[in-house]
Amino acid sequence: MTTAFPSSLYACPCSDLSSAPTPSSKRASIQPNTLELSGDQAFNPHSPRANYALYPLSDLLYCEECDEIRCPRCWTEEILYWYCPNCLFDVPSSTVKGDGNRCSRSCYNCPSCTTPLQITQVSHRDEGLLKPTDAAGGDETYVLQCQYCDWSSLEIDVRFSKPTKITEQLAKQRKARVSGKEDTAPSDKKVTAPDDVFASLVSFYKDQLDESGDSRNPYSNSPYNSPANLARIMSLYGGLSYNALKKTREKPQPMREALGAPEGLFSFGTDRSDTEIISRMQTSGWDATPTAEQQLSAPVNHDIRFADELWPSATQLRTRRAKRCKNCRHIIARQEPKVGNMRYKIRLLAMNYIPRLSIRPLHPTMPLTNPAFNLKPEMPQHELLQPHKAQQYVLTIRNALFETVKISLATPATTPGKVASRVTILCPSFTVGPAGDVWDEALSASAEPNSDGGRKAAMASLTGSSESSDRQPEAGKIWERTRNSTSVIVEVVPGALQQPPSIVRKTDKELADEELEEDDDVLEVPVYVRTEWEMEVKPGESVQAKKDANAMPGEKVGKELGYWVVLAVGRIAG
Amino acid sequence: MSRPQPTTRRSVKTEYIETDTGNKISRRAFIEGKQNIMLGGKTVLMAGVHLRGDLCRKPEPAAAGEKEKPNTTAVSIGRATVVSTNAVIRPPMRVHKGQMTFIPMRIGDNVFIGPNAHISSASISSHVYIGENAVLSPLCIVKEGSKILPNTVVPPGMTVPAGTVVGGKPAKILGEVGDGWGQGGGVEGEEWVEGGDLRPLVRSIK
Repeated sequence: MTTAFPSSLYACPCSDLSSAPTPSSKRASIQPNTLELSGDQAFNPHSPRANYALYPLSDLLYCEECDEIRCPRCWTEEILYWYCPNCLFDVPSSTVKGDGNRCSRSCYNCPSCTTPLQITQVSHRDEGLLKPTDAAGGDETYVLQCQYCDWSSLEIDVRFSKPTKITEQLAKQRKARVSGKEDTAPSDKKVTAPDDVFASLVSFYKDQLDESGDSRNPYSNSPYNSPANLARIMSLYGGLSYNALKKTREKPQPMREALGAPEGLFSFGTDRSDTEIISRMQTSGWDATPTAEQQLSAPVNHDIRFADELWPSATQLRTRRAKRCKNCRHIIARQEPKVGNMRYKIRLLAMNYIPRLSIRPLHPTMPLTNPAFNLKPEMPQHELLQPHKAQQYVLTIRNALFETVKISLATPATTPGKVASRVTILCPSFTVGPAGDVWDEALSASAEPNSDGGRKAAMASLTGSSESSDRQPEAGKIWERTRNSTSVIVEVVPGALQQPPSIVRKTDKELADEELEEDDDVLEVPVYVRTEWEMEVKPGESVQAKKDANAMPGEKVGKELGYWVVLAVGRIAG
Repeated sequence: MSRPQPTTRRSVKTEYIETDTGNKISRRAFIEGKQNIMLGGKTVLMAGVHLRGDLCRKPEPAAAGEKEKPNTTAVSIGRATVVSTNAVIRPPMRVHKGQMTFIPMRIGDNVFIGPNAHISSASISSHVYIGENAVLSPLCIVKEGSKILPNTVVPPGMTVPAGTVVGGKPAKILGEVGDGWGQGGGVEGEEWVEGGDLRPLVRSIK
């Protein structure tokens, strides 16, 4: 799941995997600042469903109204605009509804490798390439060409007379080809484009509906249009009972399905005989047949049998979407409705609201690097964790809010999954100072010169100087504190990958359970984070529903938030 | 125009030569046609980078009595862009009316180009992340805030729309970057993020 260590992923509380610890222990009034976890409650990062609940912090949003984290499962999307990824023009929604979700400009993709095709001029063999094209020579032709796999529309014998209006020219050639085939094929089976088949099917069903319903009904648009509805309404106002009325009416004729090609019936099979296809397959082999992906690239390619019949597919449109909270329908992310503009009008990122967790070794063996920014081709090798050897990590919680937050951390004593590692957070509850701008920090730093001790300690821990090695982590003590971040020590004892051999013979099931699967050796620590903070209700601010309804402006309102974070520490050596 | 100044700070033999505008150019980078290259400042060219400024449009011969035209730009790179080890940047070529011309290449600000990448695109907008070993074929266009996964081959002439993730050989649009793309950098432990401000990363390269 994760390749880079150390990293942290956040679970949205909407997932049922990430249930909060029991309410009794969660209530601060009973047991302040402690969270207790039993084995089953812990978020299991090795569960197959965990991949669908964990997100990097940058992908999560936050709803200010509901005071909750929002993930792709708990926000709804609405389309801002459609655009073609090739020509980057936006397409109005009416055109999308009418013409489908493909670009109607000259954007085509290679049917063989999906690369955008380019319009290339082909000149006749006699004329040298270097000869400048003179306007008089009207016999130059254009083809669609793929610069990646060298497919060109010459393979399906399609040429264009001008480099513009490719869609129209292509449609014309397609039509000519299909109707030409019809003439040669004496059978009554028609090979038509799927769009035409669909259109005739729609008209067929419309006719059927008209026939089965009362076509002379003048109220075709009113709620009384269907006889059943009318009867139900009549029965509401007395008169004959609904059932009695139903009996009196004759049953509507059952609708029949489409019978022939003119009605839209589309049976698989072409005008060619099977033997012809089989014999061609025998001679040309597997390579001449299209792959499933190629066939599904466009409806025109759905029932082709050979790769040389592939028709270029118009580029599919893409959408840009705004996000709304599913609960309160407020917009939580919305971009400017202009193609290519990445500026946001509204963007409530979770990273600006919830505390961020990061973990690093207390005594790093190599300098920490950001794994995404590998500047050199050789990958730094991550050291494997030795089983049963206690390791200490610094867990830093950084506050993004402008209020001081109270943090309570909880983690299962042993990590869930097949390899059980012991985890201890030495100081599970503490406060983290408010975030401010850089100036606040600079001013406070100059006021008290001792306050950059934290930075010194951080530098020392990075360089591994003797200053920090003197210090021993203590239970219940905060390791390090800066203006808006607090670090605590986490002790991890990695479990062994192999179970100890036992005298009692194991059953097959037990042995199968011991079998390690992919990424089971990754040591991931689930940590439940509960944050509490107080927020002043500003006058004029929309007082939120629910619990804060009776809060007056200027009063402080307590808020809390709980979520699971999975810290990937490293791989355990086998 | 800022060009490497080999004479400055000769006494301290460091890996990087720093220009007045803060560009850091490795002594082991291979740079051709320096007069045709523009660096925006605070840009890093790491060891083994091939930068082909000599592949530019040939200036038309000056007519009699006219002054020689100034050099054309072949490659222009914006601010705080990092070109990692062994990346190759060469402007794309096109045959136009029977003549071979090179198209000037434009790279925006805060672009990260991974190691061993091969770049021949027509333009790369700002805040783009290009993974290692990626091949950007001639005349492709990469729009703002997009991410190119490692080992991707972007086919010739492809447009990578803004805010998308592409990958594969040939490249396909696989998805979109998250809403927090490029946000959240500048804190200890995560000084720089993909698509974000790369100035801290530039500062850290020594």
